[in-house]
Order: sequence, then C-alpha cells, then structure tokens
Amino acid sequence: MEKDKIVRDISKLIGKDKVSGDEALLSIYSKDPLGNVGKALAVVFPEESKDVSRVVSYAYKNDIKIYAQGSSTSLAGSSLPKEPGIVISFERMKKVLEVSLVNSYVLVEPGIRIDDLNLELGSKGYMFPVDPASSSVATVGGAINSGAGGMRGAKYGTMRDWVLGLEIVLPDENGTIAFAGCKTLKCRQGYDLVRLIVGSEGTLALVTKAYLKITPLPETVIVALAFFPRLENLMEAVVDIKSQRVQPYILEFLEKRTAEVAAKSIGRSINIDGHMLLAGIDVNREAVDRYVEWIEKLLKEHGGKGIQTARSWQEAEERGLFDIRRSLFVAQSKMAREIYKNVNNAKIMLLIEDIAVPPSRLIEAVKGLKELEKKHGFVTMLGGHVGDGNLHPSIGFNMLDPEETKRAERWFEDLVDLAISLDGTVSSEHGIGITKKEALRRELEARGSLKLLEIMKDIKKVFDPKNILNPGKVV
Amino acid sequence: MLEDLREWIKEEASKCMFCGFCETVCPTIKFGPHRGYGPRGRVNIALYISEGGKYTEEALSSLYSCLLCAACTLKCPANIDIPEIVRASRVLYSEDSLKEAIVVEKKVS
Ligand SMILES: Cc1cc2nc3c(=O)[nH]c(=O)nc-3n(C[C@H](O)[C@H](O)[C@H](O)COP(=O)(O)OP(=O)(O)OC[C@H]3O[C@@H](n4cnc5c(N)ncnc54)[C@H](O)[C@@H]3O)c2cc1C
Ligand code: SF4
Ligand code: SF4
Repeated sequence: MEKDKIVRDISKLIGKDKVSGDEALLSIYSKDPLGNVGKALAVVFPEESKDVSRVVSYAYKNDIKIYAQGSSTSLAGSSLPKEPGIVISFERMKKVLEVSLVNSYVLVEPGIRIDDLNLELGSKGYMFPVDPASSSVATVGGAINSGAGGMRGAKYGTMRDWVLGLEIVLPDENGTIAFAGCKTLKCRQGYDLVRLIVGSEGTLALVTKAYLKITPLPETVIVALAFFPRLENLMEAVVDIKSQRVQPYILEFLEKRTAEVAAKSIGRSINIDGHMLLAGIDVNREAVDRYVEWIEKLLKEHGGKGIQTARSWQEAEERGLFDIRRSLFVAQSKMAREIYKNVNNAKIMLLIEDIAVPPSRLIEAVKGLKELEKKHGFVTMLGGHVGDGNLHPSIGFNMLDPEETKRAERWFEDLVDLAISLDGTVSSEHGIGITKKEALRRELEARGSLKLLEIMKDIKKVFDPKNILNPGKVV
Repeated sequence: MLEDLREWIKEEASKCMFCGFCETVCPTIKFGPHRGYGPRGRVNIALYISEGGKYTEEALSSLYSCLLCAACTLKCPANIDIPEIVRASRVLYSEDSLKEAIVVEKKVS
C-alpha cells in the first residue's frame, strides 16, 4: 500500500501525533547496530495497548508488515524493518504501573529502559537483576523479546527466568489483547506461552505490559579484579571459587589483548599482566572482611597478579574496578576502527558474537578462537561471562570488500562449528534475528533435531497466519 | 568548501554504531516526541542529509532542538563529536537553502 495512505489511515485510527511518514525520521527507524539498513514506511508511537491493537488490526486487514522496536540495539538484526512495513516504536509506553513488594513483582510498560526501572526499584531496596551491557538503553520489551542476559547471568539467569505474565497483542483481525501467564510466582497455565514469547523477537505477538519478578538488592557485594598470565590458572581460580559453595554475583573475563585495548581506550594506565578476571560476591555486611581476605588469598594462590579488591560495589565503582570490563564494546569498536584507519572508504561492520559453552570447556573455546584468528586473519576481541560460559568474540571487517566479507562469513561458520563441537550453543542472549538463522539450523541439525525447526515454523504460523509480525526473522 | 563540509559530516556520522548510549545523558530526548530529539537521531539524520536526503520538518526539528551541550560525546564509544556534526549540518542547511532560494528566484524571474 502507498505510504501516505498508511500514515493517513493510522492518523485517523489513533491520532496524528502518534504516527509519522517523515523520510528523515524514518531513516533512523530503519537501522541497527550491525549496519543493516531496512525500509520503514511509517513509524508509530503508541501510548496505550489499544493504540497497538488498532494498528495491528489495521495491518492485518491490509497485509502490512509490522516491526516492533524498543531501542533498536539488537545485535542480531532482530529489530530491523527488513521488508517495507510499519515500525511500532514503544518509546512512549514507559511507565512503571505498579511495584508490589509483597507479591514480588513490578508491572511495567514495554518501553521503559532497564536502568530507569532499576532506579525506581533501587529506591525501595529492590532490583530487576537482568543486566545486559546495554541496560542504560535497552528496553524491557526489547529485552523480553531478545531473551536478554547480562553480567549477573550465572546467578540470576536471563529474561526467561524473570517474566511472570505478559499482556500481548495478537496479529489477528481484531488485534486481540490477551494476557498470558500469571501475577503469581507459581503458575501452571497449560502450555507455558510466556516462555514462548520471551525470546520470540517480536515474531509471535507484541508485548504491551509485563509483570516482572523482582528481588532484593544484596546487602553488599565485594569485588575483586586480577590478571592471570595463563588462562588455565584463571579457570582453576574460577573452579576453586565455585567449589567452595560460593555462587558469584558476577564472574567476568577479558582476554589479555582485549583488556589492554579496553584500558587504553578509556585512558587507564594499568598494568595488564594477563587475562582479566572480575569477580563479585554478594555477602552480609558482617562477612565482608572474611570474604575479601578469602578471595584475595585464593586469587594469589592461583597465580593472580595486580589483585585489587573493594569492600562494596560502591567502592568498586569509585575505584573504577568495572571500567575495563564495561569497555568491551569500546575496545571492540576501537580495534576495528584502528585496523581500517588508513583504508579509504571502508565501511566497517562489527560482528559481536554470542556463543556459550559449558564453563568447563571455556579453555578449549578460547584456544579454538585463537586458531580461528590465525586461520582467517581477523584480530579478535574477546570477553565474556565465565560464570555461565557465554563468550562474545568479535571481529571487524570492511563490508565494501567482497573478499573480506566472504572471509568473515567463513570465520562465523567456523565459530558456529566450534560452539557446537564443544556442546555449546550459537546464541546465548542476543537472539537469532537474521544473522543467526543458518547457525540455528546447523545447531539443531548437529543435535539430530531438525524436526524442531519445523515445529517452530508451525508455531509461527499459528500465532501469525499472515506472516505480518517481523517476517524473515528467527525461523 | 561546502562539499568538504558535506563529506566531513558523512565521514564523521558514519562512525555511529547505533548503540544509543548517548541518549541516556541527552537533556532534550526526554522532552521530545521521539528518538529524533536525541543524539543518535541527530547524527543519523545528519548522515541522511549528507547523503542527499531531504531537509524534512523532522530533520530540521531534530537538528535545531540540540542544545550543543556535548554531554553525549562523553558517552560515545566511537568518539563522535556530535554537537560539531549538528553545527556543521546547520551551516550546510543555511547554505543549501540559500542555493535553493536562488534557484527558485531565478525560476520566478
Ligand atoms: C553495546 C551493546 C551491548 C549489548 N550487550 C548485551 C548484553 O550484555 N546482553 C544481552 O543480552 N544483549 C546485549 N546487547 C543486545 C541488546 O541490547 C539487547 O538484546 C536488548 O535487550 C535489546 O533491547 P532493545 O530495547 O534495544 O530492543 P530492540 O533491539 O528494539 O528489539 C529487540 C527485539 O525485540 C522485539 N521487540 C521490542 N519491543 C517489543 C515489544 N514490545 N513487543 C514485541 N517485540 C518487541 C524487536 O522486534 C526485536 O526483535 C547489547 C547491544 C549493544 C549495542
Ligand atoms: S549536544 Fe545536543 S544531542 Fe548532545 S546531549 Fe546536548 S542536546 Fe543532546
Ligand atoms: S553513542 Fe555514539 S556510536 Fe552510539 S549511538 Fe550515540 S553517536 Fe552513535
């Protein structure tokens, strides 16, 4: 359908301030962090569930594609309007509707950013623990639909562990508004449709409200930073921590060269004596001394160097203990730009990957990645969550160079094979989107489970018979 | 000279990785109706224009609502000088609209 007519029709349905067909504006709703460019015909800014329902019903009747967007920070191409269609941006639906400590939940609209939610909860001594590195920008709706995770993943899991119930709009004639799941912590409502929606990347339904589980902020968290010349020693330290009945709050890793680039990029002159380990342990205030001494000794025994400890999260923040880990993205992008600084007209594409292997196989994974670096000739930046085995290797390449693009594709294929061969998975928290569809197929094939892909495609058809919601993604 | 400016905007704005980190500190995005009133929007609208896109109403609102406070640059992992891009885009606009006006004038006369 013609673009102007779509904008006119939607203006009539929900009001002219809630839709735009301005070409310049559309250009910023047609992009993503991977450098993909799509084609939004109109962007809609719903302010309540009914607006969403009306637009979905209209799109259904007129066979128009719909792409939900939170903050468009997906690293899998999930939020891109790949084919011409309407973008529904949830940025105006960002209210906290209810906080209930007695029921352990918060009710929110999908457009609220995770850090803004935590600001509200923090004032009550509570938190929403899923913390993607993008939490200052990422919305709850985007995180639910990506199945996002973060630094606290080993302790608190990912989005699928924290969603109790969802108000959703279904892609049918009426734009039906339904509620899946419960407000209660326990819920056995037939098949678990909440978990199906979590991680479905806006392909099955649109989320308009969410009941999320919340948890008290830990009394305090002690933090330790150390560098290990050998990866084996770092892993032994991790195993030792875990064997002593301690489930760390965070347990993060940065490969040596990546830590160096990260430190340099934020102007920190710190001696990087090896691979970096950052551990946080939540403890009672009375136990702080005991745990600080214990972790310091443990890290030393395993050959840790340049050990720094902080007696609270706040102290760690003040002393910048998190800075290097938080600069992984900066390091990844800096390294890519550095490599191409003398290449005229380079369009750099950053591939930030998301494999996970059982933590016991992390050493093999890191060694495998080093081999891939040699084989394909890409400088690889590497960091991740040792607690749950999730690694984010990244490379940069020049999209305008066909040979390099081919080589990057082969690097990615080998990476997928590496993850599968180590009993791992191709995506832990970023999602499948468009970039990992083939990888998903290969993973299921390797497990002799291709039938499941057919079942997933059938599920998509049941929810979205006209294939209007985020088509071409996931399956 | 003008073309150099256009090229500079294109080059600088192309560094944007669309992470949105800059939006968290921008004083104007909270009061605007959408992402166009934040730094990520401004950089990418500047890019759109430098690549030959139209000066639409939203493009001008985006570029002219910027306070040039530079808070965003502190957050940008690509080290983009966002207010400078906005400034340069405003210069480009005034020059481009002057050219447009001259063309229109000529046509009329
Ligand atoms: C620098 C950087 C660091 C990152 N670090 C992490 C990390 O540590 N962990 C992690 O998990 N991810 C990470 N990501 C990826 C991404 O930020 C997360 O997946 C985030 O949760 C996406 O949120 P968003 O609001 O940007 O969603 P978007 O990108 O806008 O959308 C993501 C998906 O959800 C769908 N969607 C959005 N809102 C709705 C809705 N209301 N209803 C239905 N579908 C919807 C979209 O269609 C899309 O498929 C990172 C990204 C960047 C750029
Ligand atoms: S310079 Fe402009 S875009 Fe940047 S933070 Fe200030 S108002 Fe926002
Ligand atoms: S912080 Fe920089 S790179 Fe990220 S969106 Fe803003 S301008 Fe682009």
